[in-house]
Amino acid sequence: MGGWAYQDEDAKRVLYVMTHGITMPERCATPFFLATAAAAMDHEVAIYFTMNGPQLLQKDVIAKIGPKGDRGQPLEYFLEQALDCGVRLLVCQPSLDLNDLSMEDLIDGVEMIGGAAFNSMAIEADAVISF
Amino acid sequence: MASPVQVDKVLDAKGLLCPLPVVKLFKAIKEMDVGQVIEMQATDPGAKPDMDAWVKNTGHEMVDQADEGDVFIFWIRKTK
Repeated sequence: MGGWAYQDEDAKRVLYVMTHGITMPERCATPFFLATAAAAMDHEVAIYFTMNGPQLLQKDVIAKIGPKGDRGQPLEYFLEQALDCGVRLLVCQPSLDLNDLSMEDLIDGVEMIGGAAFNSMAIEADAVISF
Repeated sequence: MASPVQVDKVLDAKGLLCPLPVVKLFKAIKEMDVGQVIEMQATDPGAKPDMDAWVKNTGHEMVDQADEGDVFIFWIRKTK
Protein backbone atom coordinates (compact mmCIF):
# COMPACT_ATOMS: atom_id res chain seq x y z
CA MET A 1 0.00 0.00 0.00
CA GLY A 2 2.52 2.68 1.02
CA GLY A 3 1.63 5.92 2.75
CA TRP A 4 0.01 6.43 6.13
CA ALA A 5 -3.15 4.51 6.91
CA TYR A 6 -4.93 7.35 8.77
CA GLN A 7 -7.06 4.79 10.61
CA ASP A 8 -7.35 6.95 13.73
CA GLU A 9 -7.95 10.65 13.23
CA ASP A 10 -6.58 11.44 16.71
CA ALA A 11 -3.31 9.65 16.04
CA LYS A 12 -0.10 11.44 15.21
CA ARG A 13 2.30 10.02 12.69
CA VAL A 14 5.96 9.39 13.49
CA LEU A 15 8.44 8.28 10.85
CA TYR A 16 11.80 6.88 11.92
CA VAL A 17 14.68 6.56 9.47
CA MET A 18 17.33 3.93 10.13
CA THR A 19 20.58 4.13 8.16
CA HIS A 20 22.91 1.86 10.15
CA GLY A 21 23.41 -1.84 9.58
CA ILE A 22 25.02 -4.91 11.03
CA THR A 23 28.49 -3.39 11.43
CA MET A 24 27.14 -1.13 14.17
CA PRO A 25 24.93 -3.45 16.23
CA GLU A 26 25.00 -1.07 19.18
CA ARG A 27 22.84 1.24 17.06
CA CYS A 28 20.27 -1.40 16.15
CA ALA A 29 17.92 -1.27 19.14
CA THR A 30 17.05 2.34 19.96
CA PRO A 31 15.00 3.05 16.81
CA PHE A 32 12.92 -0.04 17.57
CA PHE A 33 12.52 0.97 21.21
CA LEU A 34 11.33 4.44 20.37
CA ALA A 35 9.08 3.30 17.55
CA THR A 36 7.53 0.69 19.83
CA ALA A 37 6.89 3.30 22.52
CA ALA A 38 5.30 5.65 19.98
CA ALA A 39 3.01 2.88 18.73
CA ALA A 40 2.08 2.10 22.33
CA MET A 41 1.03 5.75 22.64
CA ASP A 42 -1.64 5.12 19.98
CA HIS A 43 0.36 6.81 17.21
CA GLU A 44 0.86 5.60 13.67
CA VAL A 45 4.50 4.62 13.33
CA ALA A 46 6.84 3.42 10.59
CA ILE A 47 10.58 2.84 10.32
CA TYR A 48 12.16 3.40 6.92
CA PHE A 49 15.36 1.40 6.42
CA THR A 50 17.78 2.95 3.96
CA MET A 51 21.53 3.00 3.27
CA ASN A 52 22.75 0.09 5.47
CA GLY A 53 19.50 -0.17 7.38
CA PRO A 54 17.93 -3.03 5.33
CA GLN A 55 20.72 -5.33 6.58
CA LEU A 56 18.93 -5.40 9.93
CA LEU A 57 15.84 -7.01 8.43
CA GLN A 58 17.53 -10.14 7.10
CA LYS A 59 15.95 -13.40 8.24
CA ASP A 60 19.30 -15.02 8.94
CA VAL A 61 20.71 -12.04 10.84
CA ILE A 62 18.10 -10.99 13.38
CA ALA A 63 18.78 -13.78 15.86
CA LYS A 64 22.55 -13.42 15.56
CA ILE A 65 23.16 -9.79 16.45
CA GLY A 66 22.06 -7.53 19.28
CA PRO A 67 22.97 -4.10 20.65
CA LYS A 68 25.14 -5.61 23.39
CA GLY A 69 26.74 -8.37 21.39
CA ASP A 70 26.43 -11.73 23.12
CA ARG A 71 24.83 -10.17 26.19
CA GLY A 72 21.18 -9.16 26.35
CA GLN A 73 18.43 -9.56 23.81
CA PRO A 74 18.97 -10.11 20.10
CA LEU A 75 17.67 -7.78 17.42
CA GLU A 76 14.87 -10.29 16.80
CA TYR A 77 13.37 -9.45 20.20
CA PHE A 78 13.19 -5.71 19.47
CA LEU A 79 11.81 -6.32 16.00
CA GLU A 80 9.04 -8.60 17.23
CA GLN A 81 8.12 -6.13 19.96
CA ALA A 82 7.80 -3.35 17.38
CA LEU A 83 5.74 -5.44 14.96
CA ASP A 84 3.53 -6.62 17.81
CA CYS A 85 2.64 -3.01 18.65
CA GLY A 86 1.86 -2.18 15.02
CA VAL A 87 5.07 -0.53 13.85
CA ARG A 88 5.47 -0.79 10.06
CA LEU A 89 8.82 -1.62 8.47
CA LEU A 90 9.59 -0.01 5.13
CA VAL A 91 12.39 -0.42 2.59
CA CYS A 92 13.05 0.82 -0.93
CA GLN A 93 14.54 -1.11 -3.86
CA PRO A 94 17.78 0.90 -4.32
CA SER A 95 18.66 0.32 -0.67
CA LEU A 96 18.13 -3.40 -1.13
CA ASP A 97 20.35 -3.32 -4.25
CA LEU A 98 23.03 -1.42 -2.34
CA ASN A 99 23.20 -4.27 0.16
CA ASP A 100 22.75 -7.04 -2.45
CA LEU A 101 19.48 -8.07 -0.83
CA SER A 102 16.05 -8.99 -2.15
CA MET A 103 12.68 -9.07 -0.40
CA GLU A 104 13.08 -12.86 -0.07
CA ASP A 105 16.05 -12.30 2.23
CA LEU A 106 13.98 -10.19 4.62
CA ILE A 107 11.62 -11.14 7.41
CA ASP A 108 7.88 -11.25 6.72
CA GLY A 109 5.94 -8.05 7.03
CA VAL A 110 8.41 -5.65 5.45
CA GLU A 111 6.78 -3.27 2.95
CA MET A 112 8.38 -1.96 -0.21
CA ILE A 113 7.94 1.73 -0.94
CA GLY A 114 9.77 4.22 -3.16
CA GLY A 115 11.34 7.61 -2.75
CA ALA A 116 8.16 9.46 -3.63
CA ALA A 117 6.14 7.55 -1.04
CA PHE A 118 8.87 8.13 1.55
CA ASN A 119 8.87 11.88 0.92
CA SER A 120 5.11 11.99 1.03
CA MET A 121 5.09 10.18 4.36
CA ALA A 122 7.79 12.51 5.71
CA ILE A 123 5.85 15.60 4.68
CA GLU A 124 2.64 14.29 6.22
CA ALA A 125 4.33 13.05 9.41
CA ASP A 126 4.15 14.95 12.68
CA ALA A 127 7.75 13.98 13.38
CA VAL A 128 10.60 12.47 11.38
CA ILE A 129 13.47 11.07 13.43
CA SER A 130 16.67 9.84 11.81
CA PHE A 131 19.32 7.48 13.07
CA MET B 1 -1.06 2.10 49.41
CA ALA B 2 -4.82 2.47 49.61
CA SER B 3 -6.27 2.91 46.17
CA PRO B 4 -8.03 6.25 45.61
CA VAL B 5 -10.53 4.65 43.24
CA GLN B 6 -12.04 1.28 42.52
CA VAL B 7 -9.47 -0.69 40.55
CA ASP B 8 -10.57 -3.06 37.81
CA LYS B 9 -7.16 -4.38 36.82
CA VAL B 10 -3.66 -4.35 38.27
CA LEU B 11 -0.61 -4.26 36.03
CA ASP B 12 2.64 -5.22 37.70
CA ALA B 13 5.37 -3.62 35.58
CA LYS B 14 7.93 -3.61 38.37
CA GLY B 15 11.41 -4.44 37.13
CA LEU B 16 10.57 -3.67 33.52
CA LEU B 17 12.46 -0.94 31.68
CA CYS B 18 11.51 1.40 28.85
CA PRO B 19 9.64 0.79 26.61
CA LEU B 20 8.10 -2.31 28.21
CA PRO B 21 5.92 -0.56 30.83
CA VAL B 22 4.07 1.45 28.18
CA VAL B 23 3.86 -1.56 25.90
CA LYS B 24 2.30 -3.65 28.67
CA LEU B 25 -0.08 -0.81 29.52
CA PHE B 26 -1.01 -0.33 25.86
CA LYS B 27 -1.94 -4.01 25.64
CA ALA B 28 -3.65 -4.21 29.02
CA ILE B 29 -5.90 -1.22 28.43
CA LYS B 30 -7.08 -2.64 25.10
CA GLU B 31 -8.65 -5.51 27.03
CA MET B 32 -10.61 -3.17 29.31
CA ASP B 33 -13.94 -1.36 29.03
CA VAL B 34 -14.29 2.41 28.84
CA GLY B 35 -14.57 3.85 32.34
CA GLN B 36 -12.57 1.09 33.99
CA VAL B 37 -9.45 1.89 36.01
CA ILE B 38 -6.09 0.17 35.82
CA GLU B 39 -3.52 0.35 38.58
CA MET B 40 -0.01 0.23 37.20
CA GLN B 41 3.03 -0.40 39.38
CA ALA B 42 6.45 0.43 37.95
CA THR B 43 10.04 0.81 39.09
CA ASP B 44 11.50 2.23 35.87
CA PRO B 45 13.10 5.53 36.98
CA GLY B 46 11.62 7.16 33.86
CA ALA B 47 8.09 5.96 34.62
CA LYS B 48 6.66 9.27 35.83
CA PRO B 49 7.50 11.40 32.79
CA ASP B 50 6.67 8.45 30.54
CA MET B 51 3.23 7.94 32.04
CA ASP B 52 2.46 11.66 31.94
CA ALA B 53 3.39 11.64 28.25
CA TRP B 54 1.42 8.47 27.66
CA VAL B 55 -1.88 9.80 29.03
CA LYS B 56 -1.35 13.13 27.27
CA ASN B 57 -0.95 11.32 23.94
CA THR B 58 -3.53 8.58 24.31
CA GLY B 59 -6.22 10.71 25.97
CA HIS B 60 -6.74 8.29 28.87
CA GLU B 61 -7.16 9.89 32.31
CA MET B 62 -4.52 9.90 35.05
CA VAL B 63 -6.78 9.61 38.08
CA ASP B 64 -3.98 9.70 40.63
CA GLN B 65 -0.40 8.66 41.23
CA ALA B 66 1.67 7.80 44.27
CA ASP B 67 5.10 6.60 45.34
CA GLU B 68 5.59 3.66 47.64
CA GLY B 69 9.28 3.25 48.31
CA ASP B 70 10.89 2.62 44.94
CA VAL B 71 7.58 1.78 43.31
CA PHE B 72 5.62 4.32 41.32
CA ILE B 73 1.88 3.68 41.23
CA PHE B 74 -0.46 5.13 38.62
CA TRP B 75 -4.26 4.89 38.44
CA ILE B 76 -5.48 5.41 34.90
CA ARG B 77 -9.06 5.45 33.64
CA LYS B 78 -9.76 4.26 30.13
CA THR B 79 -11.62 7.04 28.33
CA LYS B 80 -12.18 5.64 24.86
